[in-house]
Amino acid sequence: MAKPTARIAAVQFGFALGVVVILGRAVQVQIVEGSDWAKEAARKRTERVVLPARRGALYDRNGVPLAVTQEFYHVGIAPNELEDLATGFRLLVRSLGVPAASLDREFRAHKPWIYLHGPFNATQVQTLRSVVGIHLEGDFQRFYPSRDLARPIIGGLSPDRPSGAAGLELSLDSLLTGQPGAAVLLKDRAGRRYESPARMLREPVAGNDVTLTLDAELQEIAERGLAEALTAMNAAGGDVVFLDPLTGELLALASRQAGSDDPQRASTFTDPFEPGSTAKLFTAAALLTHNLVDSTEAVFAEHGQWQMPVARNGRSRTITDSHRSDGNLTLAQAIQVSSNIAMAKFASRLQPEQQYEMLRDFGFGTPTGAEFPSESRGRLARPDRWQPMYTRASLAMGYEFGVTPVQLAAAYGAIANDGVLLAPTLVREVRDPSGALLYRHVPEPVRRVVSSEIAGRLKSFLRGAVGEGGTGEKAQLVNYTLLGKTGTAVRFEDGHYVRGEYTASFAALFPADHPQLVVIVKIDNPKGSYYGGLTAAPVTRSMLEQALASQRVAIDRARLAATDSAASTEPRPEPAPPGQAVVAVRWPYHPSDSVTSPRPIPDVTGRSVREAALALHRRGFQVGLRGLGRVVRTEPAAGESAARGSSVIVWADESR
Amino acid sequence: MRLKGRHWLTLWLVVFLVVLLAITTRQTAGFRTARHLRELREERAALEARRGELERRIRLASSRQVLVPLAERALGLHQPTDSEFVLFVVPAGAGGKP
Repeated sequence: MAKPTARIAAVQFGFALGVVVILGRAVQVQIVEGSDWAKEAARKRTERVVLPARRGALYDRNGVPLAVTQEFYHVGIAPNELEDLATGFRLLVRSLGVPAASLDREFRAHKPWIYLHGPFNATQVQTLRSVVGIHLEGDFQRFYPSRDLARPIIGGLSPDRPSGAAGLELSLDSLLTGQPGAAVLLKDRAGRRYESPARMLREPVAGNDVTLTLDAELQEIAERGLAEALTAMNAAGGDVVFLDPLTGELLALASRQAGSDDPQRASTFTDPFEPGSTAKLFTAAALLTHNLVDSTEAVFAEHGQWQMPVARNGRSRTITDSHRSDGNLTLAQAIQVSSNIAMAKFASRLQPEQQYEMLRDFGFGTPTGAEFPSESRGRLARPDRWQPMYTRASLAMGYEFGVTPVQLAAAYGAIANDGVLLAPTLVREVRDPSGALLYRHVPEPVRRVVSSEIAGRLKSFLRGAVGEGGTGEKAQLVNYTLLGKTGTAVRFEDGHYVRGEYTASFAALFPADHPQLVVIVKIDNPKGSYYGGLTAAPVTRSMLEQALASQRVAIDRARLAATDSAASTEPRPEPAPPGQAVVAVRWPYHPSDSVTSPRPIPDVTGRSVREAALALHRRGFQVGLRGLGRVVRTEPAAGESAARGSSVIVWADESR
Repeated sequence: MRLKGRHWLTLWLVVFLVVLLAITTRQTAGFRTARHLRELREERAALEARRGELERRIRLASSRQVLVPLAERALGLHQPTDSEFVLFVVPAGAGGKP
């Protein structure tokens, strides 16, 4: 047996060896393989997650939400984790509204995992959050509160990823998409995840909010008006455009294709059509710009039918007017009665390049640049491809070129805007998630197309076209005047003209003085009456009446009332002293009442100005107010007689 | 007074425990805050969902599609023509609402 000292030495050696081994292993684990083990530990204890960013919202010009992003959930159920199957089942059915029978089938199949795709909103899953065995998977999804309102324009997202697939959702994608964030979650041994504020690597940044130029109320008027018109006329489709000519802002864009199972197209941007007589004005603009016609010059209207020579070998084409004219027509009269023959004759004075340049200057044949993807450029052939003797006449009548409704609206907007073409736009404002303004639209002039003087003459032509004897007479309102031009064109489809099918259209500027709205109404293939003046023009009037009656539509009523009053030939009330309001009212309107028998002035003393004004209006008087509050006296005084339509000055005092 | 070895040991132990306690407390507070944040986020999401749904219902209920037929049928009203309404001209600075 070894000596004790030897045994002790052996034990010490053993311990020392053990310590060396441990230290060696420690060095291996901590230093040599340290970084690998640290990564492995981090991988097991933590999980890096991507935090999705909220997509920016789309609003109308008044803040009505059109497209917003909300958190939605998919629900996973682990039946073996549920404490009470029956309670969990009832809770799921009640909260999510899923059919009890189908969920019962899933439970009875003894599946280890049941997945309900939903998606379910946050309200629905609120009561399920704390239930063990129910797992929620959050996801941002697009939500359209107004459902179908302006949907062809707004578009939508891809079904498999949160990016725009069509419409404004596509064209504004880079603005609306936010930047995803990242965070690290802690995990325990059971795999449960814990959030920690200190583990946020990068906060998600929400996308920008975009305020569109669209007016939800006007959009609804346009969509509803178009739908009713298509039903009433049994038409194949149609478009409506409302545009603010002073800013180029598109206020409403309605498109509808009847009988189509496909989603509705934004045909206001994508589908060019031959405009017919609504385009006569642009040839007139070219004629005036190049001084090729004066206001007294007239051409023979051929009694409504003319064999126009189109080739040197004597070949001719028949041009007809639907509104037969027997005498000579000036340029203004040609537009008033929409004479194809007169316009064809006038157009022969133009060089092809002059006509082409004018049409290009009005924006035809090029995209308008509005923020809509897949906008059509329309169709306008270069002069070297024209039929030498016919295309000028054809273009003057609105054939052989295609325009989109938005292009036509922008071109009419140029006339309303004293000859300056503005770029139409759909975006009014862009704000970052904190609400700071990033962009605000300012009117963007493209070019001066015609001089202010010529624009004024073109407007006078339009005034004639909707005046007495004009083709657009049925669009005219009673109390307000508008300018407009009708169009009726044989439909051009798949490279040829379709006999018996027409596109009816109407282009209007409202009101006549200082227009605030450009309205384009286009009806495809209406059955029965197909003239623009009988189809599209009354639809325009109806929509304008609704817009005027709605308090929410973006019309400057103060300017409209002032314009209307200014246009009136009747005497205006004298100016009010400082601090007193003048309210001039013309009600009711009876054009034939200019000479009527006198009637007594009612006694409105002591009544509010509103009640007094209503009482006087009902008697057919105009009212001029001096002050606000209770009525003190009237001039002429109560009981005296005055002609219907004459002014009654109402003196009011706020202290009473 | 000079500290002896065991006192140093005790002192280090106390310091160690205090630091450990501080770390644990901070971590616990962090988890609690994170949970509170999550709950608030969930509550906001639920409220936003509710607001979205209510906005949708309000839009639908106040739309012309619903209101116009109802007004025509129940109240005998009709869409006014332009001759049936009056616009008041109030000069700027008159004190009236625009």
